[in-house]
Amino acid sequence: MLAPALSVVLLLFGSGLLLAVLQSFGYLPFIGRTTLTLDAYRDLLGSRAFYQSLGISLWVAGVSTLLATLLGLAVALLLRRPFSGRRRALFLFQLNLPIPHLVGGVGILLLLGQSGLLARAAYAVGLIAQPADFPALIYDRFAIGIIAEYLWKETVFMALVLLGALRTIGDEWEQAAATLGASAWQRFRHVLLPLLRPSLRAASILIFAFSFGAFEIPYLLGQRFPSALPVVAYRRYTDVDLAARAEAMAIAVMLSLVSLVLIVIYGRWTTRAAV
Amino acid sequence: MTRLLTLFLLIALFAVVACSAGRSPNADSTTTATEPQVAPAGAAPPPGYESGTWAEIVDEARGQTVTFHMWGGQENINRWVTGYAATALKEQYGIELVQVPVADIAESVNKLVGEAEAGRAEGTVDLLWINGENFATLRQADLLYGPFAQYLPNSQYVDRDDPSVSYDLGLPTDDYESPWGKAHYVMIYDSARVAEPPRSIDGLVAWVKAHPGQFTYPAPPDFTGVGFVLQLCYHATGGHEQFLGDFDQALFDATLPACWALLNEIEPFLWREGATYPESHAAQQNLFANGEVSFDMAWNPSEASAFIEAGRFPESTRTFVFDQGTLSNAHFLAIPANAPHKAAAMVVANFMLSPEAQQSKADIANWGDLPAVSVSQLPQAWQDAFAELPRGVATLPNEELTRKIVPELPAPWRVAIEEGWQREVLQK
Repeated sequence: MLAPALSVVLLLFGSGLLLAVLQSFGYLPFIGRTTLTLDAYRDLLGSRAFYQSLGISLWVAGVSTLLATLLGLAVALLLRRPFSGRRRALFLFQLNLPIPHLVGGVGILLLLGQSGLLARAAYAVGLIAQPADFPALIYDRFAIGIIAEYLWKETVFMALVLLGALRTIGDEWEQAAATLGASAWQRFRHVLLPLLRPSLRAASILIFAFSFGAFEIPYLLGQRFPSALPVVAYRRYTDVDLAARAEAMAIAVMLSLVSLVLIVIYGRWTTRAAV
Repeated sequence: MTRLLTLFLLIALFAVVACSAGRSPNADSTTTATEPQVAPAGAAPPPGYESGTWAEIVDEARGQTVTFHMWGGQENINRWVTGYAATALKEQYGIELVQVPVADIAESVNKLVGEAEAGRAEGTVDLLWINGENFATLRQADLLYGPFAQYLPNSQYVDRDDPSVSYDLGLPTDDYESPWGKAHYVMIYDSARVAEPPRSIDGLVAWVKAHPGQFTYPAPPDFTGVGFVLQLCYHATGGHEQFLGDFDQALFDATLPACWALLNEIEPFLWREGATYPESHAAQQNLFANGEVSFDMAWNPSEASAFIEAGRFPESTRTFVFDQGTLSNAHFLAIPANAPHKAAAMVVANFMLSPEAQQSKADIANWGDLPAVSVSQLPQAWQDAFAELPRGVATLPNEELTRKIVPELPAPWRVAIEEGWQREVLQK
């Protein structure tokens, strides 16, 4: 049962990856290049622009992951205890899960742009005189719009994972600690947090891997330069010069390598958590 | 959150309504061409049809589906293609036209290259909307079908001596693509905000410096952005004539720094102090529509009128061209070498050149694209129909548009300037 499924995955995914690796080494038979070289990697690793893009990608993924983890944790702790309207709050909170990132991105654009909803409101109450007075939250140096979009979506993901974990943990441990005289902070710090750590790690690795490798949100909300690596890869891929494909593929291969490393770490942590 | 969701639902609803409105049969399409057409006298038949006639191609095409890859960034164009054109093709020729909108036709070029790599004799694309360096790329890789354009009956209305339709960015079309429309580059401004626009490049530079944050242009390689950069470079380097030959790196290195200097000189005065540029023409249009910048620019001289009509641009929007002259080019339809339905693709290309399609396309209520056919070569009735089209309040008269035309550069020059801009302006 497993073999056919695995072979399909290997064939589709593996052959695509193999082709990408080959092309990143300059194997481009459609323009008559069949010798393998490391030129694409050398050009990339030798250019300042590459490191600037890498910096943006790491910044976006790092900040999004950190904030989504903190916020998700806070929300999970809030929604964990029974209160009236809890079910409704939970439902509203999860509402954006099925909405695609692209739609979220357009929403952020309409909300945070210098002529967006917030800017118009600020104009209406006389806070700003013209669009340019509104702070640049989109297409900006600090990628605020991109991070906001990821937070909007990934906080929910993080909170749901944690809520699931909290349900299995139950509250016997905390009650036991309380009986022994632990304060609320001590119960959180020394009991709950260690128990949640495997889920926190696993979910944050997934969020990091996603926001590091995703294309559409940085493309839609990011500044023109430096752009996140997946956007650079897309631009190189659609370059009129077909030879630029080698660089596009080299970026794709490096992104895949980072994801692969993260998957390995994820695998180790989750298996350890299961034990 | 719920409010946001409601907003999205509303947008989706509008999209559905807009699409279905676009699909309703257009009054124009009932005026069907009844006479069977024939290929122009003496035209060589396209490969694979050496012994046949045009009528046989039309017969073969009946019942076929044409997968049409085209830039899908503008709603009125999409509506014209999926509405008017698809309906007429279905009724007149029994052809199903399926539009595949792409953000940049380079994506489809890549798809074709990918198919060729995989050795697929039968591809998935039948027709492409293309010009410039993408045409050059496909010709370079020998992935286009042809020559076919000379055999289309309606090509009789195309002025074959006109270099803007027989050459595509300096590369002869050799009938591997059939002209579909023409473009003249215009600058767009809001007369309520800018009473008297600067009509020279020096004037614009001075205006930009005097009005910080109110001007920008789409980042090359966006087509519209490249057009703007080219005109500034022509001005800064002493004219386009020197670049019309083969690409010359020494000449490039000697002349273009003057252009980068000019672009960097205005950069601090651009929108967002030039720290970033609009990613696409659509992003630029939004900035202009929202009043964040005072100028837009377009390859289509009636786009501003069409946008006023659609309520997207303010009523006070107007256009102008630089005293130095303006860029002109044409856009084309091409058929991939591995297209599964070549006969139907040729019939579609022929239909797109027909007087009725060209006239409908030129109407700003539909699209407002300049005709690829030479109107004076059309039957009198069609010349009258063209003359009756409303010009649109923001569209310049033809004499003004064509007063001084400057050519686009051959693809290698253009690509070098695009890359130079990234290196010397964007990343500096």
